[in-house]
Amino acid sequence: MRTRTALAVAAAAVVALTAGCASGGDTGGSGGTGGGTAAEPVSLKFLSLAWQKESIAANKEIVGEWNKANPNIKVEYVQGSWDNVNDQLVTSFEAGDPPDVIHDDSPALAGFASRGYLMDLTGKLPAELTSDIPKDAWDTVTFGDGKGGQGVYGVPFLRESQVIIANKKLLDAAKVRVPTPDAPWTWDEFADISKKLTKDGSYGVAWPLKSPVNRVLNLGLNFGGTFFQTDGTKSTVKVGPEEREVLQRIHDQLYKDKSADPSALGMGAADPLPGFYAGKYALLPAGVYLRQQVAEQAPDGFEWVTLPPLKGTSSNQGALSQTLSVSADSKHPDEAAKFIAYFLNSANQAKLAKGDWLLPTSVKAASDPSMTTKDNGWDVATASAQNLVVAPYLKVNGFDEWKSKVATPALQQYFANKTTLDQLATTLVDEGNKVLERYGK
Amino acid sequence: MTLTAERTRPPDARRRGRPTSGGRETLLLMLPALVPVLVFSVGPLLYGMYLAFTDARSGRNAETSFVGLANFGDLLTDGDFWASFRIGLIWAVSVTVLQFTASLGLALLLNENLRFRGFARVLALVPWAMPPVVIGLMWRLVYHPNAGILNSVLQDLGLLGHNVDWLNDFSLALPAVIVVGVWTGMPQTTVVLLAGLQGIPGELYEAGQMDGASAWRRFWNITLPQLRPVIVTITSLDFVWNINQFGLVYVLTQGGPGGQTRLPLLFAYEEAFRYGFFGYAATLGLAMVIVVLAVLGLYIGRQMREAS
Repeated sequence: MRTRTALAVAAAAVVALTAGCASGGDTGGSGGTGGGTAAEPVSLKFLSLAWQKESIAANKEIVGEWNKANPNIKVEYVQGSWDNVNDQLVTSFEAGDPPDVIHDDSPALAGFASRGYLMDLTGKLPAELTSDIPKDAWDTVTFGDGKGGQGVYGVPFLRESQVIIANKKLLDAAKVRVPTPDAPWTWDEFADISKKLTKDGSYGVAWPLKSPVNRVLNLGLNFGGTFFQTDGTKSTVKVGPEEREVLQRIHDQLYKDKSADPSALGMGAADPLPGFYAGKYALLPAGVYLRQQVAEQAPDGFEWVTLPPLKGTSSNQGALSQTLSVSADSKHPDEAAKFIAYFLNSANQAKLAKGDWLLPTSVKAASDPSMTTKDNGWDVATASAQNLVVAPYLKVNGFDEWKSKVATPALQQYFANKTTLDQLATTLVDEGNKVLERYGK
Repeated sequence: MTLTAERTRPPDARRRGRPTSGGRETLLLMLPALVPVLVFSVGPLLYGMYLAFTDARSGRNAETSFVGLANFGDLLTDGDFWASFRIGLIWAVSVTVLQFTASLGLALLLNENLRFRGFARVLALVPWAMPPVVIGLMWRLVYHPNAGILNSVLQDLGLLGHNVDWLNDFSLALPAVIVVGVWTGMPQTTVVLLAGLQGIPGELYEAGQMDGASAWRRFWNITLPQLRPVIVTITSLDFVWNINQFGLVYVLTQGGPGGQTRLPLLFAYEEAFRYGFFGYAATLGLAMVIVVLAVLGLYIGRQMREAS
């Protein structure tokens, strides 16, 4: 009747201890033979989380090219999955045997960086790469190191913005203004048009809000809603009038205007697609990557367009990046950095962005003709990158726990109309601050 | 199995309890068996208990210090833990009770002289042959909102108007997971009960029949009392297994939606490996040990008092 947890923790700790000793010994060894590393072939493990078919192909292709050009630095492609990557990484970090190069996203990096698992990449990357990626993207990977300093703990390479995928025939039939990146819909206009598009049996819009937190927080910035305020190292939750705007507006569409389908609420991002193809909803707010599925699966003759992000007081959206990082325990950090620099050069970024249907951070890659073509809404998607700003919650220590324990259930209940906006705000703030308190210690 | 053997042939079962002689040799002979137990079970257990009194956190630069009972204090005021504990109790009690009822029925059926009895007995064992992760994946497909067999069968029968997302509905997720738990645990309970049933001497039933006892009376006055030790044992074991369940629910729902199926050990797992609070997670583990021991102590203590 021992509990598994105590065991697992103890086991992990024991492994970590032994591994710690082992790697300690190794560092001494490689220091001694430091001169030999250039000649001796080294091998790196690269944990990739690519999951779309095209994207996996693009990843493997680039790794293959690298291995051909650099026989002395062999990169081994390891397939991971977004579903369990963080558990996997915590255990392998604690065990002292993490992959050398790690694909993850910026919210995860904050926690790992403050626990000292990742290597600070400042000064390790060539200027060619650092200057090709704009500063606001670098901001999404700059975190405290848990000891009072700051560092760059990853290279941001793919970003996602929220756009709206629309059924073109329904838009045309309702004779609504088609927005452009220069003149996007405002939220008010969006609400009116959704109402106009709602007819018996079909809804104007479907909000798939199975995982509501990131989406709501990213869109919250449309009205300047940051949801967190940071005082020094301590963060607290805030839900004021700015934060309430988007929450209230989505809720109104569901229950006041009745222009949003309530049965879409429990759906994941891609689940409403069959209904969307069938004309059940005219507008589908989605991440830019969802265009891939629409482009490939939509029935023949189905016409769709990508609409630019909505505008509140601004069109700003919180941005996350997918990132590549080097683990602090890596025995070949310089080689790992070199590999990252190659993997994310502008030509490769364009390939990766195309494979995942996301936006590259590289300025050069974004001007690639394949990124600005009108086909499949790439022009609108790429233009939306200019609205991306650093999501404030990225810098909040304990955000992950707040999200899964407090915010996800609270938001789900609010959107299911089981609680009021005031109750939601109280829960997010009171219970949220209790959670964050543990991390402020 | 051994449970029943002990009851029907007490002398055999006692044979092992030899008087101890030559303590040193015994110890020496036991050593090969003891070492793995000490290294892999007792050691980690003690280390886990020690962790429960520290603020151990994940991280290369984390410093661990002794905090005494602070973790237990946090535990008592942690609403999330108590919510999860409540879910754990609902889960463990309902799975154990349903499992027992269903298994008893199945065991009685399999104990009858039916045609294809051997085949049916093998079929009843099938869930046992599958690891929890496979069971979880399989049931996730059964419950799938759009492609799951459950929704399509219910709709074909006209019992359901629209697809239900069983595992993501706030009120349906826990019952849905409980059904899987019952299904998974039935084989071992059935087998043990069946073995118990076969150990009941046939004369008792014959005598009952002579005296004109109805089938129900025979069940109530012969089968149940005779099965009692088996029932107590398997039920308490089932309870412990169920309250410590992890893999099945982790695969099915990962504790979602919104924590509605977050069993205590899932909660502890998240604390340790998701948020990195090893010390607090160890405290949670220790608390579960205490709860399980208390339940078992009550149960087994009563049993022993009655036996003596």
